[in-house]
Amino acid sequence: MFDEKLTAHLAELSKLEFTPEELSEMTKDMTDIIALMDKVCDFDPAAAPYTLDSVDYEELRKDTYKDSYPNEKILENADNVKNNSFVVPKVV
Amino acid sequence: MSLQELRNRLDNREIGAVELAQDYLNKIKSRDGAVNSYITVCEDLALEQARAAQAVIDAGSSKAMTGIPLSVKDNICTNGVRTTCASRMLENFVPVYDATAIERLRAENFVMLGKTNMDEFAMGGSSQTSYFGGVKNPYNTDRVTGGSSGGAAASVAAGLCAAALGSDTGGSVRQPSAFCGVTGLKPTYGAVSRWGLIAFASSLDQIGVVAGSAFDTGYVLNSICGYDENDATSSAKAQGGYTELVGSDISKLKIGVPKEFLDGSSGEVKAAVLKAADFYKSLGCEIIECSLPSLEYAVSAYYLISSAEAAANLSRFDGIKYGYRSGLGESFNDLIKNSRREGFGDEVKRRIMLGNYALCSGYYDAYYNNARRIRTQIRREYCEIFKKCDVILTPTAPTTAYKIGEQENDPVKMYLADICTVTVNIAGLPAISTTCGYGADGMPIGMSLTGRAFDEKTIIAVCDRFEREFDRKECGK
Repeated sequence: MFDEKLTAHLAELSKLEFTPEELSEMTKDMTDIIALMDKVCDFDPAAAPYTLDSVDYEELRKDTYKDSYPNEKILENADNVKNNSFVVPKVV
Repeated sequence: MSLQELRNRLDNREIGAVELAQDYLNKIKSRDGAVNSYITVCEDLALEQARAAQAVIDAGSSKAMTGIPLSVKDNICTNGVRTTCASRMLENFVPVYDATAIERLRAENFVMLGKTNMDEFAMGGSSQTSYFGGVKNPYNTDRVTGGSSGGAAASVAAGLCAAALGSDTGGSVRQPSAFCGVTGLKPTYGAVSRWGLIAFASSLDQIGVVAGSAFDTGYVLNSICGYDENDATSSAKAQGGYTELVGSDISKLKIGVPKEFLDGSSGEVKAAVLKAADFYKSLGCEIIECSLPSLEYAVSAYYLISSAEAAANLSRFDGIKYGYRSGLGESFNDLIKNSRREGFGDEVKRRIMLGNYALCSGYYDAYYNNARRIRTQIRREYCEIFKKCDVILTPTAPTTAYKIGEQENDPVKMYLADICTVTVNIAGLPAISTTCGYGADGMPIGMSLTGRAFDEKTIIAVCDRFEREFDRKECGK
């Protein structure tokens, strides 16, 4: 049974925040969606093993050093930068 | 005009690359306001690329794509050109590298007209979840284009590019191509490198082509396919030559028609697809009724697998390294949560929530693992069909394009509409959609031809044979 407690738990795992109204709406949507997903529970697990990989991999590339993209180019996409680094709120 | 004709006209100097690019840019300016197929139009870049292409043509060194103007879906990274995924999260994101598909096209001096609109992060089948506003169907602007590559399909249908790159995770190239009355090819998983395609569901995502004909989809695929060391799932089996069977005798082929796909489609869609089967029969092809019994599980399995992968892939968006950053919250955790809350739209949030549900301890085996078992079963069933058939014929979508606002607020209804396309991604097979009729509402009906892995050549040839006879309606180009 999908309830707001479970929605709040999933929101925490998903690093998402909802207002009480949004949480209620999301719970309703998820209830409907999970009812559709329940169909897979009817499948006999003994009927087939699960797929691990979808492809046969080609040869993997060699683990060798390559120049990375320039720091200043990478940092251009960050919203808050200082001293050639990403700025984050205090964590400790 | 086909891409081959365009190539010949460019090489014979009957048309200049700059003149051609300018012509498309003018059309975009005058017509795209009604359709909203582009998020970003690259006028200066396109003209610069066209001038470079003309120099190559003048030197007698042109390649297949030299000077050919394409649109590119906005989830494919383009160095120096913003790539938004139609999301507020990436509204100002400018990649520092090209996707491999783009790199290969640039090596042939193609012309990029701009980046096309789509469902946010490619999650949707209507192209109405875009942060930049929904895309409208050029056949009838009250209707959806389908999605998620709705901008790609609309840009081709409206004559706003010569062809388009899209991406297909569960039908996102084929279904909008069907709704917009154009041709869409989803190549075999691994045929085109996913390097630089912003990840939605990595085991299902594949770059595809939307164009005016089956031949043209193969023409573009020739230039972007093949192994890439940056994508371990790409394959050297994708060797090109995708148009070489076009025009060959297809009368000995066996075409399978799985009954389950027809049962779930509207009467007019079913009738149009069966009429196409009759056409192939009239050529001498053998039509074989076949079955994919696990289709009943396909939508649920697809949404569980794709959402689980999406939840992991989209965890990278934290508001710190790139993407939208919220000004709210003082702690590290609050910054991430608020950035994701404000940066993602509702459908993206639903998929992340569903994905994390499927991966949760307690639900993982019943949902995610069973979805993966169904994946194995669907692959087995396709293998069985391909023991008897060369190609599989199905509808691309159960209905024609519906009215804007009709379904988008009902996620379950939206998900169920993917029934005809998701199994191809689950099994990693190639499929092509083309128009096979028109509904009572005047909207195009799409049929799909699915082939064996890495056998795009056959489905392109079979599709081309139909297109030669079918009277496809233009939509006011």
